[in-house]
Amino acid sequence: MNLSTSFVGLNFQSPVMIASGPASHDVNQITLAQQQHVGAVVLKTVCSDKYEHMRYWPRPRYKLLDWDKQIGGRSKYFTLYSYEQGYSGTLEDYWKFIAECKRHSTVPVFGSIFADVAGDWKMLAANVEASGADAVELDISSPHKPGSLDFETTFTAAIAAVVKAVKIPVIVKLAASADVVQQSLVAQECGASAVTLCNRIRGFDVDIETQRPILHGNFAGVGGPWAKYYTFRHVAEAAQSVAVPISATGGAMTGSDIIKYILLGATTVQVLSVVMVNGWDSIAAMHKEIAEYMQRKKILSLDEIRGRALKAMAHPDEIVRWSGEPKSGPRNVWK
Amino acid sequence: MFGSNLKYPGLNPIPPPFAHEHPPVAEVIEEKCIACDRCPPLCFFDSIVMENRPQHPFGRTAVVIQENCTGCGLCFEACPVDAIVWVADVAGRSDAKTASSSVEDTDL
Repeated sequence: MNLSTSFVGLNFQSPVMIASGPASHDVNQITLAQQQHVGAVVLKTVCSDKYEHMRYWPRPRYKLLDWDKQIGGRSKYFTLYSYEQGYSGTLEDYWKFIAECKRHSTVPVFGSIFADVAGDWKMLAANVEASGADAVELDISSPHKPGSLDFETTFTAAIAAVVKAVKIPVIVKLAASADVVQQSLVAQECGASAVTLCNRIRGFDVDIETQRPILHGNFAGVGGPWAKYYTFRHVAEAAQSVAVPISATGGAMTGSDIIKYILLGATTVQVLSVVMVNGWDSIAAMHKEIAEYMQRKKILSLDEIRGRALKAMAHPDEIVRWSGEPKSGPRNVWK
Repeated sequence: MFGSNLKYPGLNPIPPPFAHEHPPVAEVIEEKCIACDRCPPLCFFDSIVMENRPQHPFGRTAVVIQENCTGCGLCFEACPVDAIVWVADVAGRSDAKTASSSVEDTDL
């Protein structure tokens, strides 16, 4: 079965990508990803020297909440609560990391970068390009990013500067919010080749025994299988408004989730937490499920079904409603 | 004080009391390990392996390779008998960082 997918001018053998994070912080993991026939790998985000502290990780930094604890690749439910930070080496290490990844695999490799001022963004992106990466993802929406940077000034300028500075495709990773469509349009206007929707959101949890926030004591990134539902919606909305391709990410656990994202208009789907919890084999299981679906539905290429569910979306004005009044209507009479 | 278990302060994946002086890493209390094989696959840093222990009631035990352990806390989630605890990473790097020690202000 042919899962091949074209994204930002690159040919992928699968729509499934490894998202930036702990599954792409080590050159050995590129080999693991390649064995799973992933479409591409987005490497762990590197921060500019100004954010050197983000190369250090708190211990502990991960917790699985509400986890069904099905060890051996069978977990269906969990929340990954984490204060993941950036790539732990220096910038020089990161350029070598990209070069090594390219040397050891044929999988397309995306660099991922974070900075504040446009000059730093440009410098990082230019080095990512020079190191041999196939594309660069701008991580402007990490749940751990320092607080006072905003999209309208800092990140819009960054996208425009990076697009001018490099020839490789520039992908902008956006956070889930009411502004997803608007920000996607701005990214497109600035010349981005694609958008990644959506980063994990910033959440919080406390321990009632110690009456303290868990882990490092502050807000943390939260994600998990449940994240797919709002991301489906963001992808569906964006797919109807923006022309650039969408790389969806959020809560994809199975082949069905990948298919759903594609039916809603995504070109590729990034996964990560499922690999952490259920192992690298999860990707083989996804591919098998997608292939079986394509066979059953007699689909030769995923391009055929991309965005198909959007066409069947009902306009709010057309949603058929019925009176429930005689049965369950205003219950303002005590019987 | 952190944690409700005084003997093994790290049983909850919150930082152990010594976390400000030493970076913590995970360690398996071999006597408590039931050799259930759950933690090695969950460790994302290839830092937990099963080793044979002929004297052990289960014949095997999980062992943390502390040179690889990043102290992420994920293995604590997998252990059904709370056999994984925090210990000080004496060999590990101790040059702790905070945002305030490396960056003045992120305002532009």
